[in-house]
Amino acid sequence: MIAGGIEDEEKWLAAGIAGLQQNAFYMHRALDSNNLRDALKYSAQMLSELRTSKLSPHKYYELYMRAFDELRKLEMFFKEEARRGCSIIDLYELVQHAGNILPRLYLLCTVGSVYIKSKEAPAKDVLKDLVEMCRGIQHPVRGLFLRSYLSQVSRDKLPDIGSEYEGDADTVVDAVEFVLQNFTEMNKLWVRMQHQGPARDKEKREKERSELRDLVGKNLHVLSQIEGVDLDMYKDTVLPRVLEQVVNCKDEIAQFYLMDCIIQVFPDEYHLQTLEILLGACPQLQPSVDIKTVLSRLMERLSNYAASSTEVLPEFLQVEAFSKLNNAIGKVIEAQVDMPIFGAVTLYSSLLKFTLHVHPDRLDYADQVLGACVKKLSSRGKLDDSKATKQIVALLSAPLEKYNDIVTALKLSNYPRVMEYLDIETNKIMATVIIQSIMKNNTRISTADKVEALFELMKGLIKDLDGAEEEVDEDDFKEEQNSVARLIQMLYNDDLEEMFQIISTVKKHVMTGGPKRLPFTVPPLVFSSLKLVRRLQGSQEQEENPFGDEGSTSPKKIFQLLNQTIEALSIVPAPELALRLFLQCAEAANDCDLEPVAYEFFTQAYILYEEEVSDSKAQVTALHLVIGTLQRMHVFGVENRDTLTHKATGYSAKLLKKPDQCRAVYGCAHLFWVEDQDNLKDGERVLICLKRALRIANAAQQMSNAARGNTGSVSLFIEILNKYLYFFEKGNPQITVATIQGLIELITTEMQSDNSTPDPAADAFLASTLRYIQFQKQKGGAIGEKYEPIKA
Amino acid sequence: MPSRRRTLLKVIILGDSGVGKTSLMNQYVNKKFSNQYKATIGADFLTKEVQFEDRLFTLQIWDTAGQERFQSLGVAFYRGADCCVLVYDVNSMKSFDNLNNWREEFLIQASPSDPENFPFVVLGNKVDVDGGNSRVVSEKKARAWCASKGNIPYFETSAKEGINVEEAFQCIAKNALKSGEEEEIYLPDTIDVGTSSQPRSTGCEC
Ligand SMILES: Nc1nc2c(ncn2[C@@H]2O[C@H](COP(=O)(O)OP(=O)(O)OP(=O)(O)O)[C@@H](O)[C@H]2O)c(=O)[nH]1
Ligand SMILES: [Mg+2]
Repeated sequence: MIAGGIEDEEKWLAAGIAGLQQNAFYMHRALDSNNLRDALKYSAQMLSELRTSKLSPHKYYELYMRAFDELRKLEMFFKEEARRGCSIIDLYELVQHAGNILPRLYLLCTVGSVYIKSKEAPAKDVLKDLVEMCRGIQHPVRGLFLRSYLSQVSRDKLPDIGSEYEGDADTVVDAVEFVLQNFTEMNKLWVRMQHQGPARDKEKREKERSELRDLVGKNLHVLSQIEGVDLDMYKDTVLPRVLEQVVNCKDEIAQFYLMDCIIQVFPDEYHLQTLEILLGACPQLQPSVDIKTVLSRLMERLSNYAASSTEVLPEFLQVEAFSKLNNAIGKVIEAQVDMPIFGAVTLYSSLLKFTLHVHPDRLDYADQVLGACVKKLSSRGKLDDSKATKQIVALLSAPLEKYNDIVTALKLSNYPRVMEYLDIETNKIMATVIIQSIMKNNTRISTADKVEALFELMKGLIKDLDGAEEEVDEDDFKEEQNSVARLIQMLYNDDLEEMFQIISTVKKHVMTGGPKRLPFTVPPLVFSSLKLVRRLQGSQEQEENPFGDEGSTSPKKIFQLLNQTIEALSIVPAPELALRLFLQCAEAANDCDLEPVAYEFFTQAYILYEEEVSDSKAQVTALHLVIGTLQRMHVFGVENRDTLTHKATGYSAKLLKKPDQCRAVYGCAHLFWVEDQDNLKDGERVLICLKRALRIANAAQQMSNAARGNTGSVSLFIEILNKYLYFFEKGNPQITVATIQGLIELITTEMQSDNSTPDPAADAFLASTLRYIQFQKQKGGAIGEKYEPIKA
Repeated sequence: MPSRRRTLLKVIILGDSGVGKTSLMNQYVNKKFSNQYKATIGADFLTKEVQFEDRLFTLQIWDTAGQERFQSLGVAFYRGADCCVLVYDVNSMKSFDNLNNWREEFLIQASPSDPENFPFVVLGNKVDVDGGNSRVVSEKKARAWCASKGNIPYFETSAKEGINVEEAFQCIAKNALKSGEEEEIYLPDTIDVGTSSQPRSTGCEC
C-alpha cells in the first residue's frame, strides 16, 4: 500500500469501480443468456479488480462490497443452474480454471456455498477445502477480505446443532473448527501486516490495521452465534484456542482488540464460569497492552449483568468473582509499574462498581478496594492529573449512587483517605456531590460522630485548605456555601442530648471557616440551635425535671454556645447580621424565661449598634428591629426594661435624618404600652413619645420648607395621627379627643396652606385615615361612642 | 431488465447497542431468541425468502454493530439498500433520542437517489420487559417522531416474545419492494470488448 495522496486513491478506486462495472455488465448479459462460460469469464475479470494493492482498507471495502453484490447475482444463477440439473461438482471444478488465484477463490467460495446448500457433499468437507485453499492468498488486505467473504457466505451453512446442514458426520465441532481455523489464519495475516513495509510508515500501517480489525473480530461473533457452543465447549475448546492465538501472536493491537471482542461477544455466564482462564491470559499479554481498559470493560459488563437481576447473583458468589478480579487487578498493577495513576484508579473504580453491584452487603469489600487505591495513591502525593482526579470522583461517587446514602459511605474507613489525595478544587466538587446526594435522598445524619466524619470529608467547603487558590468565582462560592447552609439545617436527631452534640460539632467546624464563610454558615447554625431550644422548652413543660444532672443539655448551655458563635461574626465583620441574630436569641431567651440571658443578648446587640453599625440606613433598620423585639419581651423586670427602653429611645432621637428620628420615636411609644401586660401600660410616657415625634415632625417640616419651599413631611403628621388613634382606641387615657381633633386641624390647615405643593399620596393617606374614623363611628357600641365626639 | 434484479431486497438494521437488532433478525429468520447478550461485530447478514404478491423474494437483512468501536471498516454495505430499519428500546430514552442520528447518518452515507422518500421503518423493541412498567418512551411520542419524518411506519415489537416481528418484516419487505431504488444502470463506453477488460492492476500475481 504505497499509494500516494487521498486524491490518487480516489482515482484508483474510481478506475477499479469502472473496470468492475464494465465486466459486471457483460457478466449480466451472459447470465441473461444463460452463457455459463462467459459468465465465469467476466466475473473472473470483474474480481480481478480486487487484486489491487493501491487502496486503503476503507476504499478497498467499497470495491469489495460492489463485487460482493455482483456475486450474489452469480450465486443465484448457480442455484438456478443446480435446479436445472447442472452438477455442482462440475461447476466447482469448472471455476478452478480461472486464471488468477484471487478471482478463482472468490468464485470457489461462491460455488462452494451453493454446493453446501445442494447437500451433494458434506458441509464439513467443502468448508475444510475452502478454508485450506484460501491460504493461497498471503497478501494481508486481499487475504483478509477473501476470508471474510468465505465467512460471510458460509455463515448460514455451518453444520451446527439444529441447522439443516448438521449431517450424521457433521457436528458442531466441525463448525467451530472451521471458524477457528479461519480466525487463526486471518489473525496471522492481520498481525503480519505490521511487519511489512518501511518503518517510517508505521503510523499509517497501524491506522490501516485498525480499520481491518473487525474482519478478524467478526469470526468471534460468528463463534458466539453457533448454536451448540455450550459452556463446556466454550471452556474446553473455544476460549483456550482463541486465547492461545491471542497470546502467541504477541501483537499489541491484536491482543487489545481481541480481548475486548471476547468480552463483548460471549455471554456473561460464560465469562463468570471461565474467569480464571480469561484473567490468566492478561499477564501473558504484551506489556504495552492497555489491560486496564480491557479489565474495566469486563467488570462493567459483569456489573450490568449483576444489576440486571438478583437471580444471577448466586453465580457470582459461586465462582468467587470478586476475589478473582481483585487478585487479577492487583497483579496487573503490580506488574505494570509504568501504568499511569489514572489507569490504576480506573481499575479500582471499575472493581468498586462491580463489588457494589454484586455484593451490596459486603462493605468490607468496598473498603478493601478503596484501601488498595489509597495504598497506590500514597506513593504519589496529591494528584495533579485531571484524568486521574476525574476517575477518583467516579470512584467516590459510586458508593453514594449505589446506596443513595452517605451514612453508608461514612462507614468506609478508607473513603476519607482517598479524598485526601484530591486537589482542593476537586475535593470541593466531591464535597458538593456528597451534599447533593444527602439533599436528594433526604438522608438523616443523626449522630455527632457521623457529622464529624461528614464535615471532615467536606472540609474543602468548610475552611480554607492550604494552597487554595485565591481567586474563586463569587457565584460558585455562594452556591457552595448555600448548600453547606442547607446541609446544616438538615442535621437532626430526636434525642435532645445528641442533637446538642451535633450542634457543637457543627459549631466546631464552622468556626474554622473564616470571614467569607461565616455569614453563610452561622445563621443556619443559630436557627438550628434555637429550634433545639424550643424543643427543650417543650419537653421541659411536659416533664418536670428531665435535666437534673449537671452535664446535660440546657437552654442556658445552648445560649452560651450561641453567644460565642455570633460573636465570631465580628471578625467578618458583619455587625448587622450579628445584631439580628442576637435579637433572635434574646427573644428565644425571653420564651425560656431567662432574663439575664436575654438581657445579655440585648446588651450585645446594643454594643454592636453603638460601635459597629455606622451606616445611617442600616441604623434605621437595626433600630426598628430592636424596638420591635424589645416590645415583645416580657421577661424583663422594671429596671432592665427601663434601661433598655431608655437606650432605644435615646438611639431614636439620635438618628441622622429627621423623618427617621420621628418614626423611630413614635415607634418607641409602643414600648410603653404592651397590650397583654397590664403593668406595661404607661399612658403618660406614650404621650411623651408621640409629642416628641410631633416636635421632630415640625422641625423636619421647617427644615424642608427652608430648603425647598415645599412640604414633604406632612405625611409624618398623618402617621403620628394614626398612632394617636391607635392608642386612643386602646384606651390610653392620656390621648383625648381634643388632642386628636387638634392634630386633624393642624394637618388640614397645613395641607391647604399657600406654600404647600399638592401631594396626592398624602391626600389619599389623610382621606383614608378620616374614612377610618368615620367607619369606627358607624360601628356603634363602645367604639362608636368613643369616636363619636371626633369631628373629621 | 430481467426479473433477477428485483428479487433481492437489501435491508439494513440500525440502532444503539443492545436494543435488540440481532435478536429481531434471529427471531424473524430462525425463530430463535436468547437472553444472552452477544455484541455484534462489523456487519453481518442473513437471508430469508419471502412470498409477496405471488412472487418470491430474497430478503438480505444486514445486522450491524451498535457499538461504534466494532464498526471499524465503515459502512460501505449501506450502498444499494432498499429499506432501512431503525430500532430503539422502549425502555431507554437515549436509544430513542439517537434514532435521528442513525437516520441522518444513513442518509448521508448511503446517499439514496430520493432521500425524502427513502423507506424507513421504526421498531420500538422490548415491549415485553417488566410487563411494560419500565417503559420510558411512549408509543405516542414514537409515533409523533415517525410522523414528523415523513410518516415512517412504526411497530412495537418484542424479539423475545415474537410480538409483531413477522408483521414488521412484512412491512419492511413491502416498503423495500416499493422503494424506487433502482440499481444504477451501467452502460459501457463501447460494447465491443477488447483490450478494455485487461486488468490494470499491477499488484502481485495473485
Ligand atoms: N426482554 C427482551 N429482551 C430483549 C429483546 N430483544 C433483545 N433483548 C435482549 O437484549 C440484549 C441485546 O440484544 P441484541 O439483539 O444482542 O442487541 P443488538 O442491538 O444486536 O446489540 P449490538 O449488537 O451491540 O448492536 C440481549 O440480552 C437480548 O436477549 C426483547 O424484545 N425483549
Ligand atoms: Mg447485535
